[in-house]
Amino acid sequence: MASQNSVMAYNDQVLVEEKSLTRILVLNRPKQLNALSYPMISRLLDLFVAYEADPNVKLIILKGNGRAFCAGGDVAAVVHDIRKANWKSGAQFFTKEFTLNYVIATYTKPQVSILNGIVMGGGNGVSMHGRFRVATETSVFAMPETALGLFPDIGASYFLSRLPGFFGEYVGLTGARLDGAEMLACGLATHFVPATKLSLLEEALYKVDSSDSNIISAIIDCYSQQPYLKDQSAYKRLDVIDRCFSRKTVEDILSALERESMGKADDWINNTIQSLKKASPTSLKISLRSIREGRIQGVGQCLTREFRMVCHFMEGKLSKDFFEGCRAILLDKDRNPKWEPARLELISEGMVEQFFSRMDDEEWDDLKLPSRSNFVLPRHAIAKL
Amino acid sequence: MSSESPTDRASRRTRILSNHLTTSDLQVGGNSLQSNICLSYSPPELHEKIEFEVRKMRELLDVHNLQDRDWLFGLMMQSKLFNPQEKGGKVFVMPDFNHTKEQQREMTMKRIEYLLERGVFDGWLTTRGPETEMRKFAFMETLGIFDQSLAIKIGVHFFLWGGAIQFFGTKRHHDKWLRDTETYRIKGCFAMTELGHGSNVRGIETVATYDPKTDEFVITTPCESAQKYWIGGAANHATHTVVFSQLNINGRNQGVHAFIVQLRDFDGNICPNIRIADCGHKIGLNGVDNGRIWFDNVRIPRENLLNSVADVTPDGQYKSAIQDPDQVIFSCCRFAAFLAPLTSGRVTISLSAIYSAQIGLAIAIRYALSRRAFSFVPNEPEVLLLDYPSHQRRLLPLVAKTYAMTCAGNYLKKMYVKRTPESNKTIHVVSSGFKAVLTWHNMRTLQECREACGGQGLKTENQVGHLKGEYDVQSTFEGDNNVLMQQVSKALLGEFIAAKKKNKPFKGLGLEYMNEPWPVIPSQLTSDILRSSNFQITTLRLRERDLLNRFAAEMSQHQSSGVNKEYAFALGYQLAEDLGRAFSDRIIFETFLNDEGTVSTGPMKDVVGKLRSLYALTCMEEDAAFLRYGYLSTEKAAAVRAEVAKLCSELRPHALGLVSSFGVPGAFLSPIAFNWIDSNAWSSSSA
Repeated sequence: MASQNSVMAYNDQVLVEEKSLTRILVLNRPKQLNALSYPMISRLLDLFVAYEADPNVKLIILKGNGRAFCAGGDVAAVVHDIRKANWKSGAQFFTKEFTLNYVIATYTKPQVSILNGIVMGGGNGVSMHGRFRVATETSVFAMPETALGLFPDIGASYFLSRLPGFFGEYVGLTGARLDGAEMLACGLATHFVPATKLSLLEEALYKVDSSDSNIISAIIDCYSQQPYLKDQSAYKRLDVIDRCFSRKTVEDILSALERESMGKADDWINNTIQSLKKASPTSLKISLRSIREGRIQGVGQCLTREFRMVCHFMEGKLSKDFFEGCRAILLDKDRNPKWEPARLELISEGMVEQFFSRMDDEEWDDLKLPSRSNFVLPRHAIAKL
Repeated sequence: MSSESPTDRASRRTRILSNHLTTSDLQVGGNSLQSNICLSYSPPELHEKIEFEVRKMRELLDVHNLQDRDWLFGLMMQSKLFNPQEKGGKVFVMPDFNHTKEQQREMTMKRIEYLLERGVFDGWLTTRGPETEMRKFAFMETLGIFDQSLAIKIGVHFFLWGGAIQFFGTKRHHDKWLRDTETYRIKGCFAMTELGHGSNVRGIETVATYDPKTDEFVITTPCESAQKYWIGGAANHATHTVVFSQLNINGRNQGVHAFIVQLRDFDGNICPNIRIADCGHKIGLNGVDNGRIWFDNVRIPRENLLNSVADVTPDGQYKSAIQDPDQVIFSCCRFAAFLAPLTSGRVTISLSAIYSAQIGLAIAIRYALSRRAFSFVPNEPEVLLLDYPSHQRRLLPLVAKTYAMTCAGNYLKKMYVKRTPESNKTIHVVSSGFKAVLTWHNMRTLQECREACGGQGLKTENQVGHLKGEYDVQSTFEGDNNVLMQQVSKALLGEFIAAKKKNKPFKGLGLEYMNEPWPVIPSQLTSDILRSSNFQITTLRLRERDLLNRFAAEMSQHQSSGVNKEYAFALGYQLAEDLGRAFSDRIIFETFLNDEGTVSTGPMKDVVGKLRSLYALTCMEEDAAFLRYGYLSTEKAAAVRAEVAKLCSELRPHALGLVSSFGVPGAFLSPIAFNWIDSNAWSSSSA
């Protein structure tokens, strides 16, 4: 039942501008840092589907209104829905969101996401799977889910696992923040354009009359520059990251980091260890396995697997850490979550395994991804299958 | 995500732009908008349906240590040492076979050092128990999927050298060598085979003479035919070897014993009185440094004798539980101490053969689901290769066999890690039969896959052709396949004679069915009967039972005409080899049927059932024995054949799911398994 409010939200929370053959979609919930609401996700999905069939659309630009691109999915609302009804009503959100992520990942037309400001969680789901990701000097990337008692979802196990070396494990487990230069260096962004040049870039993209990604890329190249990668950047510690985050288990990763930190005052390593110790132990174990499985799976498989995992979290039978994390970080804001189990060694392989199994509920199905067989996919989309 | 640098990308795009301003890499909005004059790659994922859960099917095949395997796949995919190459938007890892053999060997060693540093080998020799052994097997299988040279070089070091220390050595050797082996402080090899002697270890000519004056053994290569040959690791890297040698004490030969000899110092210089030469370039496995070794009166301490079965005292007394020198290693211990490392070798080889077949089939089937040729009706689109019944018949029975043999391999692994003194004989017989059948199956599969991929199969990057060279050795090492088959039959004959002579029922090796009356094959073979496991097992057992009876009759006939036992076996090679295969096929079938029983009712079980039927019926179709000895009449054989074709067409819709379930990540397959048009595009070749 669509209430008046949700109809308004559907129309207002994503703004559409039409410029010749280009469509500009603006995430418009600036007060919430454009956190994705259910109406926004529905609208985006409808628009993407409609534009795919529309020969008068050649290019999609996605950006945010205000100082953020998108701070993530509106999980507070999801928790609210679950409290009000049941876990399945919360899971609906993810059905829609992951479907959108899949359509974006396999989209036949190029999408340029302007990642000005914060881009986190669900915000990455609507941008990282697209063809072009433009970072700026204000970009702040993170997948912070392990601190929230969840895991990097929205298909992150696909794109994090494909970052160089074991950088994806580092980013996904610690929730580390990356700036625009780091995003470009590791491949999360395809281009870096200074914020002052964004309006020029957009104007140039309005004139595009082709979906040829080589042409689009060449246009963005004209406004791009090579940013300075700061000396203390995590990306410059890739050797340490590879040595430690390539380890088999979370426990092994932690002890490898502790070995590295021995006898030297290294803020970066200490912070990394601290983020891991603060995160939900269950989340860490599940996230690590998700990224490792994602590395050998296509994007569709990643999303269907993550959907199962997210359903288990919403159901709250195997773990209540997600609700506890939301309470501590988003609702009560005491920043002091009580994880259960509280220590890594209390979580067996068998417990982790359960999160990857089909929901034990006859009325609940796996995620059914939309068929893409009627489309001729571009090469980069084919490569993701 | 592209691994290109932004500058490369920019300049490449500019170049492409100037060439391609008129064309587009997108055909937007589906195929209705423009007629395709060019072929475009249509990924099988989009048009093929998978009706069972791939994750569950993979569990049925891989069974154990799935997370360990995925971790190791990831370790290889994420390191530049594994030569990642982007083709058609996907990254593939594969050794650079354009490297010289010296370069390939150095890369293999570097990869081992990387894996060592990441903890892959932790506990391989310093912890024991079934769990460790299963993990080692899983890792070996995974490493072999990347490169057989890598797996073999690791296998020689841990299973042959390390295994020899474990099984033939005693505490003093374990304490001294195992930890250093696990950390690769020392690098071991295994010097058994000589130029003049391979399978017949008893005949080796290297001599170790005890010198009580210095408390040393003196190891000598007395003639050219005694040079150690094919010794993996010897040519470049090994620092130590276990040498198999005749033991000479006071002029008396005590038979073959194993000794530790240092080959190189820690700077890599060859030790005095040792000569090492290369075995040269090979048809495959050039990442393994096979070498030849001569010992020129090399002196080693008395303690270097691996003395778990026999020892020499300082004053030169030979101490052994067994009196006959020939028996020391070859009799009571034949199936235990001595052969244990070789048995684990045969288990590893069997499994790696089956994973190689999986790689070949995954590539050939994925290619057949995207490559078209000819059309049935003029001006109609060309037909997918796998929609030709003949192409189905070429590949799908091999898929069914690979499924069955994967289950068989898992059964062998389980039996091996749970081994007891009582089960050693069964392990020996089953591992011999499986090693032969599985490695032959792999070679045949790779050849069929190569041909099924046409010219593309000839490119090294596409794996299927190249793997033939890498895996060919499997039919020879750790026991020549034909010899192994005859050994299986010899063991079966032993059971037969024992049961008949003592008038006792058959027990063990799955032969209990021979205590029952001879079965009757139904006179009418309907589809239902042909697909019933009851008919299938009955028919496979009938062949084995009859061949065993015939073999026993032939042996007794030869012997009653005065031919000695060994020569009688040599004469009976035809039935012996047929029987060895019949035995192996029957056990493979039983293990597959057993695993099918663990699958709960649903789409997956239906598919596994069809595979099991296709496996059994293909065995019947392929072996002339069924017709030769009349287990099947010509009419029945024709019914079997028709059912094979029917099963192939029923399995065709599941082809993608079946090969996806092998669990070999795309990065370990090849460009023709994915977007082969894009990977061959001009822009790819000039990038």
